[in-house]
Amino acid sequence: MAEDLYSVLGVAKTAKPEDITKAYRKLAKKLHPDLNPGDKAAEEKFKKITAAYGIVGDEEKRGRYDRGEIDASGQERPQQRYYREYAGGEEGARYRSTAGFEDIGAFSDLFGDLFGERGGMRGGASGRHFSMRGQDAQYRLDVGFLDAVNGTKTRITLPDGGTLDVTIPPGVTDGQVLRLKGKGTPGLGEGGPGDALIEISVKPHPVFEREGDDIVVEIPITIDEAVLGGKVEVPTISGRVFATVPPGSNTGQTLRLKGRGIKRGGKAGDQLVKLSVVMPERIDEDLKSFAETWRKSHRYDPRGKLKEQA
Amino acid sequence: MLSERDLLTRVQRLTVTRLRVWVAQGWIKPVDERAQSYSEADLARAALICNLEDELGFAEEDVPVLLNLIDQIHGLRAELKGFVDALEDLPPDIRATVRMRITTKREG
Repeated sequence: MAEDLYSVLGVAKTAKPEDITKAYRKLAKKLHPDLNPGDKAAEEKFKKITAAYGIVGDEEKRGRYDRGEIDASGQERPQQRYYREYAGGEEGARYRSTAGFEDIGAFSDLFGDLFGERGGMRGGASGRHFSMRGQDAQYRLDVGFLDAVNGTKTRITLPDGGTLDVTIPPGVTDGQVLRLKGKGTPGLGEGGPGDALIEISVKPHPVFEREGDDIVVEIPITIDEAVLGGKVEVPTISGRVFATVPPGSNTGQTLRLKGRGIKRGGKAGDQLVKLSVVMPERIDEDLKSFAETWRKSHRYDPRGKLKEQA
Repeated sequence: MLSERDLLTRVQRLTVTRLRVWVAQGWIKPVDERAQSYSEADLARAALICNLEDELGFAEEDVPVLLNLIDQIHGLRAELKGFVDALEDLPPDIRATVRMRITTKREG
C-alpha cells in the first residue's frame, strides 16, 4: 500500500525543496496533535505527512526514494510521545490554565465561583498558593437629568448595609457604566478585590433635552418679541441667563448660547434655544383691527415656495 | 525524575541554551528548579516547543501564544472532564434532564 509520498504532501514530483517544506508546514500546522488534542484522525494524518516529509524533505533520502532504493514506509522516525499525553495528567496540571474562565459561571448563583483560577485548587497537593481577584459587584443608579449633565457626588446604600460614595462625572450618559476600582468583593490570597460596576440610568427632564454635549430647549416668544426682537429669560443647566432674540425671528429658528452646554474634558457644549412664536391667548380688538388694516397694504405669501415644489 | 542531561539526550535538537531560555521564560517549569529536575511532561513539552519552532516553522515570539492557547485548552478539557465526572454521580433522572438541557442550548 505504498502511497506516493509526493501526493501525501500534495506536491509535484519535481517540486523544489523549499516548496516541499512549505507544503509540509502548512499541513503540519493544521494537523499537529498538540494543536488538536483528542483528534485521532488528525494524528494519523500528521504521522503520515511527517513520515513523508522525513524522506522527500531530505535531499539524500529523496534521491534514494526517487531511484527506488527505499520505499515509502521503513523510514518512520522513533515514535514521539506528544505533550498532550501528559497535559491532562497530574504532571501536566501545573501548565493547565484556567485564567479567564470566571465569565463562564458569571451569571450563575450556584456555579458563579466555580470556574477560573480557584477552580484549579484541587491540584494543590504540592501546597501551591492560590490567588484570585474578587468578583465585580453590579449596581444600578438612577440619576436626575441635571445631576447627570453637571456631575455630582452621591452615596448608595448596599444590600449588606454598607455605603459606597460615587462621583458622577459631568455629562454621564444613560446606560453608561461607572467602574469603581477595588469596590467589589474581596479577593482570595494575593488577589485584589473586584470592582463595583454601576450602571447609570438618567431620568428625562421636562424642559431640557440632550444632543451630545449640547442642550436643547424650546422657548416660546410673543408676536411683538418676534417682530421687534428683545431680551428673553432662558433657563440653562447652570441657571437662568438672558438671550437676545433678533428682530424678525420666526418659529423654528435656533439661537446658540456658546459654552452653556455640558462641560467635560476641558470642552463645553452649547445650549440651543429653539424659538416658538406664540399667539396671545385672546385675540383682542386692537390686534384684530391692526391685522385687518395691515393685511390690506402688506399682503405677503409665505407659501409661494411650497406651491412651486408640490 | 529526569535531569537536564536526560532531556538534552532524549530530545533531538534541544540545547542547553534553548532549554534554559525556555525555563527563564516560564515556558517550561522544572519540577525542582534548583536541582534542575524534570518530569516526563516537561520532556514532552520541550519536544513540542522544538517541534513548533523547527519543523513547523513558528517564530520564537509565536511560541508563548501557542503555549498559552494549548494550556488553556487543556485547562478547559480538565474542567469539562471534571464537570462530566461530577454529572456521572448524579441520579439518572437528573442526568437525563441535564443532557436534555444541554442539547436544547446547543440547538439555540
